[in-house]
Amino acid sequence: MDGKQEIYDSMKGHNVHISYTGVFDGQILSVIAKNIEYSLSQDPIVNKKMFKVFLELAQNISYYSDEKLAVNKHEESGVGTITIQEFKNHFVFATGNIISKVDTEKIERKCKKINSLTREDLRKFKREQRKLPAGAKGGGNIGLIQVALTSENPIDYKLIPLEDGKHFYIIATKVDKF
Amino acid sequence: MEDIVIKGSHKDYFIPSVNFNSQTGICELGGESFLEDTVEFYNPIISWLTEFTENVKKPLAFIIKLTYFNTSTSRCILDILNVLKDYEEAGGEVVINWHYDENDIDMEEDIEDYMIDTGLDINLIAFSNGTE
Repeated sequence: MDGKQEIYDSMKGHNVHISYTGVFDGQILSVIAKNIEYSLSQDPIVNKKMFKVFLELAQNISYYSDEKLAVNKHEESGVGTITIQEFKNHFVFATGNIISKVDTEKIERKCKKINSLTREDLRKFKREQRKLPAGAKGGGNIGLIQVALTSENPIDYKLIPLEDGKHFYIIATKVDKF
Repeated sequence: MEDIVIKGSHKDYFIPSVNFNSQTGICELGGESFLEDTVEFYNPIISWLTEFTENVKKPLAFIIKLTYFNTSTSRCILDILNVLKDYEEAGGEVVINWHYDENDIDMEEDIEDYMIDTGLDINLIAFSNGTE
C-alpha cells in the first residue's frame, strides 16, 4: 500500500462502533468522547478507560499529524482516522495519521520503550517525561505512556512508508472488558 | 485579591470548575479538564496561587475533585503542586485533599506519583459510584 486513502480504507472492519476520518479538532473530540464515556460498555470502569484512551490517542493526532486543516478559521488541527471495534473480550482502538520523517524514528523508539517497561517503570518514565518541557499546546511526551497505563495492554504500531520520507503511523491498543 | 470562579462546562472541550477564595483560603478544582490551550487556562490559576502564597499568606486548602484530566493538564497540576510545596517549605500552612472514584486506579496512581514528584502529603479521599 502506498496511498493514504487505501490505508484509511483498509482500517475499516467488522463490529465497528465508531469510525471517524477527518480533522481532529476539540469540538469533534468532545462529542465522540462523551459518546464513548456513556454508551459503549455496560461497565462504567471500562467506559472510563475507553474515554481516556480515546482522548489521548485523538489528541496525538490533533497535535502531531503531519496533515493539518483549519476549522472555522480557528487554529489548524491534525487530520487522521480512528476506529473502535468490539470483540468478545475486548475493544480495539486503532488510529492512523501521517507523520513527518523527523518524527518517525522518535515515535518508533518511544513505542518500543513503552512496550518493554513494567507498569511501575512506565509510571517512572511518565514522571520523568512530565518534567521535560511541554510540546505543542502543552502536550507531548506522555500521552502514549498514559494510553499504555490506562489500557493495561501493549501498543501495537506500524509505520508504512509514504512519499517524501513521511510515514503513515498506525497504533492499535486493546481495552479489556473485564 | 480577586477570587477566581469558573463554571465548568462540557460544550466544546471540557472546562474544569475553579473556585478559589482568597478570604477563606479554600481553592477547589473539579470536573473534567481537556482544553483548547491548557497552558493559557492554567497560567492565571498558577499566578493566583503564587500571589496568594507570597502576599496573603493565610492557611490554604487545595481541594481537587477532577474526574478526568488529560496529560497536558497533568503538567499544569504538577506546576500547581510545586507552588504549594514552595509555600509549605516557606512556612505556609497547606492541606491538599484529592477526591477520586475508588474504581479509578489510574487516578489513585496519579496522586501517588504527584506525592513522589513533589514530596507533598496529599489526602486521598475515595468515593464510590459517583457520589461521596
